[in-house]
Amino acid sequence: MQLIHKTNVDFLKNRKIAYVISLTLMLAGVLSLFVKGLNFGIDFKGGTEVVLRFEEEVTVGEVRSVLKEAGVEGAVKRYGADRSILLQTAFEGNLNDLKSLVNNALDDRIADNPHEVLRIDSVGPSIASDLKWAALKALLGAVIAILIYVGIRFEFSFAVASVMAIFHDVFIVLGLFSIFGGLFDYMPLVIDQGVIAAFLTIAGYSINDTVVIYDRIRENIRSGKSTEYTATFNRSLNETLSRTVITSGTTLVVVLVLFFFAGPAIRGFTFAILLGIVIGTYSSLFIAAPLVLDWQKKTKRPIKLRGG
Amino acid sequence: MKNNRFKSILIVALTALALWSLWPTYQDYSYSKQLDRQETAEDSLSFVRDHRESIEAAAEKSLKLGLDLRGGMYLVLEVDLIDLIEEKAWNKDDAFRRIIADVRSKTAGSNAQVIEVLVSEFQKRSIRMSRYFYEVRDSDEEIIVKLRKEAQDAVVRAKEIIRNRVDQYGVAEPVIQSQGARRIIVALPGVSDEDRVRKLLRGSAKLEFKLVKDNESLLEALERINSSLAENEVSKENPDLPEGDGAEGETVAEKSSNPLYDNIVVLENGRVYAPDYSREYLTGLFQRESIQKLLPKDSEIRLSARSIEGSDGAMFYDVYLLKKTPELTGGVITEAKATFGASAVQPEVTMKMNSDGTAKWARITGANIGRRIAIVLDGAVYSAPVVESKIPGGSSVINGIDGIEEAQDLEIVLKAGALPAPVRIIEERTVGPTLGADYIRSGLLSAAWGLFLVAVFMVFYYRKAGFSTDIALVLNILFVLSVLAGFSAALSLPGIAGIVLTIGMAVDANVLIFERIREEIAQGKNMRLAVDTGYSKAFSAIVDSQITTLGAGFLLYIYGIGPIQGFALTLMIGIAASLFTALVVTKVIFDLLIDRNLMTAKSFG
Repeated sequence: MQLIHKTNVDFLKNRKIAYVISLTLMLAGVLSLFVKGLNFGIDFKGGTEVVLRFEEEVTVGEVRSVLKEAGVEGAVKRYGADRSILLQTAFEGNLNDLKSLVNNALDDRIADNPHEVLRIDSVGPSIASDLKWAALKALLGAVIAILIYVGIRFEFSFAVASVMAIFHDVFIVLGLFSIFGGLFDYMPLVIDQGVIAAFLTIAGYSINDTVVIYDRIRENIRSGKSTEYTATFNRSLNETLSRTVITSGTTLVVVLVLFFFAGPAIRGFTFAILLGIVIGTYSSLFIAAPLVLDWQKKTKRPIKLRGG
Repeated sequence: MKNNRFKSILIVALTALALWSLWPTYQDYSYSKQLDRQETAEDSLSFVRDHRESIEAAAEKSLKLGLDLRGGMYLVLEVDLIDLIEEKAWNKDDAFRRIIADVRSKTAGSNAQVIEVLVSEFQKRSIRMSRYFYEVRDSDEEIIVKLRKEAQDAVVRAKEIIRNRVDQYGVAEPVIQSQGARRIIVALPGVSDEDRVRKLLRGSAKLEFKLVKDNESLLEALERINSSLAENEVSKENPDLPEGDGAEGETVAEKSSNPLYDNIVVLENGRVYAPDYSREYLTGLFQRESIQKLLPKDSEIRLSARSIEGSDGAMFYDVYLLKKTPELTGGVITEAKATFGASAVQPEVTMKMNSDGTAKWARITGANIGRRIAIVLDGAVYSAPVVESKIPGGSSVINGIDGIEEAQDLEIVLKAGALPAPVRIIEERTVGPTLGADYIRSGLLSAAWGLFLVAVFMVFYYRKAGFSTDIALVLNILFVLSVLAGFSAALSLPGIAGIVLTIGMAVDANVLIFERIREEIAQGKNMRLAVDTGYSKAFSAIVDSQITTLGAGFLLYIYGIGPIQGFALTLMIGIAASLFTALVVTKVIFDLLIDRNLMTAKSFG
C-alpha cells in the first residue's frame, strides 16, 4: 500500500504565505504571553497541590465551600475526569497540618462520600527559580549543540534555518499553551517540569524532521548538475514527503493514545508533544528548507555542503 | 554471508542478555502472584520462608518502579550553610548581622554558592573576613578556603547522617544524593507515615544539657519583656511606621497593655505555661534579639517538647529559663536505646556517654545537686529533672516522650548523630499507593495500545517488511527495559511516556529505509541491490536525525530534575536501541529472506 505516490507539490512557490501564517501564529502567541501569560504550575511558582479522589461523584463547588469553611485558602478544580479534585494552595509549612485539616473537614462535611488523598506536592520558591534556569539552560544548550552539529554536517545557513525552525515550533506551542491555558478542565495546560521536557522533545523532534529533508537536499545537490536550487529543493521535499507523513502519522497516533489514556498527570506533556509534532512537521516542510533557499537567493553564494 | 553470521550472533546474544537481565523481574512478579494465591497467612509465611533467598535476590535485581508508580516520598532538603557560617563566626556585631541578613536574602531564591555570596558581601564593604572568622592573622583567601571546606564537609556529613537515619528507619531502596552545593535529594519508596519521616529527616538532633535558672529570674524576665512589648506597641501606633509583620502583627493588633501575659499563663505558685495556641508566637518571640537582650546574661527561654492537659482540656507547654551555654552536648553520646521507664508505661530513651563525657557528666551532676538540668533536643526541653546525686556512670535518660514510636525515632537520630547545620525541606512530593497503581495501569495500557496500533499499521502499509519492523520494535522495548533493569534505574510514568515515544521514533528509521527501498525498486533495481542501496542511502539521514534527538535527550538528562531524568533516560536508551534494531536487525531479516527468495517487490507493500 502506498498513501503518497510520486508527488510534485510546489512547496516553495507559496513559502511567503507560510511565512505570514507562521508569523501571525507567533505574534498571537507572543501577544497572549504578554497579556495573559502562562499558567505556571507549582514546579515554577512554588506552593502546594493536593489531589483527592472521592468514592462517588462530587461537585467542585461542594468541595470548595467545605474547604473554604475549614480555612484552606486556594483554588479547587476538577482533576482529570475520574472523581478527582485538585486543590492548589500557597500553603507553606507542615504538610501534615494541611493534610489533617483537609481530611477532617471533608470527613466531617462530606461523610457519606469517602475520599482519599492521592498525592501531595509541595515546592519551595527556591526550587522553582532553579527549575526555570535549568530549563532555559537546557534549551539554550540544545540550540547551541544543534547549531554546531548541523553546521558541521551541512552548512551554516542550514544550521541557522534549523534553529529558527526550532524557535518557531517552541514559540508557537508556548503561545498556544498561553492562549488555551486554563480554558479546559480536561487539560489545564499547566507549565510544569513535564511540559518543559516536552518542549525539549519538540526541539529534538523538529530538528529530526528537518535533518531528514536536509539530508535529501544534500544528496540531490551533489548528484544533480543543475544549480537551479528551487527545483532541487522542491524535488527533495517531494521525495521525502511520504516518509515525513508516515513518520509524523505514526508518532502522532502513539502520542494521541498517551494523551487520552495515560491519565491527567502527563496530559499537558502529551498535548505539548502532540502540537509539537504537527507544527514541527509543518515547519520542516514550509519553514526550515525554504529559509535556506531564501538565504541562498539573498547571498547568491553556491551551497557548499560537508558531510555525507 | 560471514558478516551476517556475526550480526545474527550479535542479535541473539543481545536478546539473550536482555532476557537474562529481565529474568529476575519476571521471577519477582511470579513470586508475588504466588504469594497472592496463598490462602492463609501461615501459608504465605511458610512460602516466604521456603523461598526467602530467591525472592530477595529477584526483588533486588528486578526492574524498579519509580516513586510515582509505587508510591512514596520524594524530598529535597537544603542544608542551612548560613547558619553554619554564623556558628563559626565569633565577635558577631551589627555589621556582621547585616551581612548575614543580606547573604540570606540573596541566596534564598536559588541554589547559589553561599560562600561566594558571603565573600562578595565582605568585599563590597571592604571588611576583612578575619575580623569574624578563625585567626586574626589569616588572609581572606585562607579563610575562604577554610569556610568552603567547612561547608562542603557539612553537606557531606549531613548526607551521611540522613542516610544513617533512613537506613535505621528501615526503608527499602532509598535514594539519597546531593544536588548542587547544599541540597540533598531523598527518595523513599513505599513510605506512608509522612509526618514521622519528615520529623526524622528535619530534626538536627542537637542534644544539649543545660542548667535551669531559678524561677524568680524567669518571672522577672517575663515582666521586662511584657513592659518592653507594651512600650513598643505605643510607638507602633505611629501611622508612619509599617505594620508589624507576621507574628508581631498579631499582638500589635490587640493593642493590649499586657501583650505578653495575653499569650502566657503565670500561675499563683509561680509556674509559667504557654498555651497551645500561642506556642509558635512565643517560640518566635523568644528567638528575637531585642527580647533576648532583656534576659539575664547567657540565658534563653525555651518551651517543653510535650504539652500537658489543663483542667479545661486545653494543652499547655512548660516554659523554662535556661543557661544558654550548654554544660554538655550530644557529641559525647555513644549509645541510645528506646525503652519503657520504671513505670513501664512511659517510653524513654536511655543514653550512654564516652569516657570524656562520663567524666564531665559526673563533675556537672556533682556540682549541681539539688538543681535542675534540662535535656534539650533541637531547642525543645524534653525533661528537666532535679539532680539528686552525682552520676558517675555516664548514663542519662530522656523522658517526656509522647509514645514509643517517638522514642524509637529519637534513638535513631541520637545514634546517627547531630546534623552539622539545620536542614529544611524545600520540596516534597508524596504519591499514595492507589495513584501509583492507577499510573501503572494507564501507562501500561497506553504503551500497549500505542505499540499495537503502530505494529498493525506497519504490517498493513509495508507488508512483510513491516513485519520485520514489528520484530524490531518488540526487541527495542525489550532492550530499553533490560538496560533500565541492568543499571537499576527506576521506571517512572514519564519513563513509560519516553518508551511510548520511542516506539514512534523507532518506526521513523524503518520508514526512512523502506521509503528509500521503494524508490530503488521503482527505478527497476533487483531486490538485493535495492535493499542494500536503500540502507546505505538512508544511513546518513538516520544517523544525523537520531543523533540530534539523542543530544536533546542528553541535555534533558543533565539539566532535568527527578521525573524528567527518567523520561530523558528512556528516550536516550530507546534511540540507541532503535538505531541498532533499525540498521542491524531488520537488515539481517531482509538478507535472510532474500537468500531464501522470500522477498519480492511486493514485500514492501
